[in-house]
Amino acid sequence: MTHRRWFTPWLLAAPAVVWLAVFNLWPALNTVVLSFTNAKPLGGGRFTGLANYERAFSDEQLADALVNSIVYLLICLPLLTLCPLLLALLVEKRLPGITFFRTAFYTPVIASAVVVALIWGWVLDDRGLVNGLLGQLGLADQPVSFLTDRWLLLFSAIGLTVWKGLGYYMVIYLSALGNVGRELHEAAAVDGASAVRRFWHVTLPGVRPTMMLVSVLISVSALRVFSELYVLSNGTGGPGGRDMSVVMLIQMYSRGFTGHIGYASALSLLLFLITIGPMLLLARLNRKAA
Amino acid sequence: MRRSHRVRLTVTALALSTLAGCGLGDNSGTAADGAAVTGEVKGKVSIQTWALKPKFTAYMDGVIAAFEKQYPGTDVEWLDQPGDGYSDKVLSQAAGGSLPDVVNLPPDFALPLAKQNMLLDVAGADPKLTEDYVKGGIDAYRFAGRTGAYGYPWYLNTDVNYWNSELLTRYGLDPKKVPAGLDELIAQARTVKEKSGGAAYLMSRKPGLGDLANAGVKIMAEDGKSFTFNTPEAAALLDKYVVAFKEGLLPKDVLTDTYAGNAKLFNAATVAWTTGGGNYITSLATDNPTLAPKVVPSAAMGTPPLYVQGLSVAKGSKNAATAVALARWVTNAENQAAFAHLTSIFPSTKASAGDAFFSKSDGSNASDAKVIAFNSLAKAQMLQPVQVNDAMSTVINQQIALAISGQAGSKQALDTAVERCNQLLKD
Repeated sequence: MTHRRWFTPWLLAAPAVVWLAVFNLWPALNTVVLSFTNAKPLGGGRFTGLANYERAFSDEQLADALVNSIVYLLICLPLLTLCPLLLALLVEKRLPGITFFRTAFYTPVIASAVVVALIWGWVLDDRGLVNGLLGQLGLADQPVSFLTDRWLLLFSAIGLTVWKGLGYYMVIYLSALGNVGRELHEAAAVDGASAVRRFWHVTLPGVRPTMMLVSVLISVSALRVFSELYVLSNGTGGPGGRDMSVVMLIQMYSRGFTGHIGYASALSLLLFLITIGPMLLLARLNRKAA
Repeated sequence: MRRSHRVRLTVTALALSTLAGCGLGDNSGTAADGAAVTGEVKGKVSIQTWALKPKFTAYMDGVIAAFEKQYPGTDVEWLDQPGDGYSDKVLSQAAGGSLPDVVNLPPDFALPLAKQNMLLDVAGADPKLTEDYVKGGIDAYRFAGRTGAYGYPWYLNTDVNYWNSELLTRYGLDPKKVPAGLDELIAQARTVKEKSGGAAYLMSRKPGLGDLANAGVKIMAEDGKSFTFNTPEAAALLDKYVVAFKEGLLPKDVLTDTYAGNAKLFNAATVAWTTGGGNYITSLATDNPTLAPKVVPSAAMGTPPLYVQGLSVAKGSKNAATAVALARWVTNAENQAAFAHLTSIFPSTKASAGDAFFSKSDGSNASDAKVIAFNSLAKAQMLQPVQVNDAMSTVINQQIALAISGQAGSKQALDTAVERCNQLLKD
């Protein structure tokens, strides 16, 4: 019989524990501490109690950023939960040339978010492809301000997120659809169920756990959106900064020699709390549905 | 019991390391402020420059070799950092206490380091500073609330106006009568818009703090503790841009500077006016060789902006005498003049004022621009206060865009910008 020392499991787990402690736990705790200070990158700071949080609750830019995040979430969540499922149902079929479509739908996922956003910027610009087409078709006398109007810029960014996310979530659904028993579909078909009923009563229950996972992933990325809005607004956040996301605000405040690390940390913590809200809600819904 | 004790210890250790790691301590230098630096010039020192390799490697090697020859026993380590991320690099060096002995810092980088007592007061360390360098250059390194100067001015630059003579002529304007002020600029922009049917523009950038300063608006209080640019005069200036924007005299995307900024549109011959440094035509000759000969330079409207680069000395340098000597050596008249002959920058030394290389044109438009820039330096000023950091710049930019787009009144936007900048300044 082999004698095991009590510390052997700890020794084996040590590299991972140290890694997590140094790169996850410590920075997270540090963020909490910093959020109660007026810390700067140089010269430290002093404890200011709840001042950063009080400031955050009266920060108009944060209010705008939260509205943007909620709009982002409300539009992206249904679109990116359902459209990729429908797309997956389409490309799941074994038809000649279907691999081409699967690849085509997945291509935006591979492309860098910044590069894609830059290309969309050129497409949506005043002198860009879309405005050129609208002008030539006589649908617009003046260029449409896709990148300078508060809501149009936000919707353009949402469009970009949805376009880029379709392929990613489609692949997740494809693997989930593979696990839905074919015999269930066949049995339902024998019983006379139409394609819509089979989708509703066989496919959807089969992929429900995946839908929940996808919803959580979408919620988190929608609330933490950065690249799309940043690149499309050229880092300005649009006129008045009304198209900034919370992450853009954090980036703005924490940058440079005189970055406001304390306030940026408070915003990070608020964003964290806001992000886990929808996650908990979806988990609860999932449990209820189960 | 033992287990809970261990848990308590772990939590305490983590909390302590967190507090220590979050940098709530203070950083202090070691040298006394205002005292002349004396001592033997020898030993090893480091100097850090910003994106000089590989274009100016030979120049810097020569300057350093000459220094080591002049001061036997010295050993200079030259560090050059890439252009991108330089502020982050300096910030990490400063936070980690590993600032090179001599470091290239523009004034806005030097201010936060000086505030943390990390830079040597070179005015105190080197009593001859004011004798050798131009006042504007030294003043760029003097900061409100602090005595002394925190960098040797190295090289200077300013903006020159550049006009596309072909576009101006095509749309009925005379390249010899370019606008001298904002009202004339807007009037000519209207002509370009009307005659081009909106295909070309004269104006393609929104105003910034420099434009407000040029209109006589006081940007900041003397003590550097609050912003003051929300005046009726500033609002009146923005109102002119609001009208111009509404008339379509500027491209819509000036609001976010997307797709193509002012210079890119000029290079593409879509816009007839831009501003740039004294060497703009030379670089344009590479990007658009057919346009470069058609460009007419003129002096900036109002007070030209002053751009300064300097060499600061780390207060924590273990070899301050050698560091000061090296900073002075690199920025001396001879070395600056040699540098300025290699690229289009201007020396900050008084001795270079009479150099015919800068003050006489060979008749080409590129040379004319260089001379205009050199002559403009005499009245150039730093129009944007060094206290304006990244977050403040973003806020100001956003509010000016909001006003120009007509989504907020000019005064209201300026009030918001001032309020937010003051909050950021206070933090």
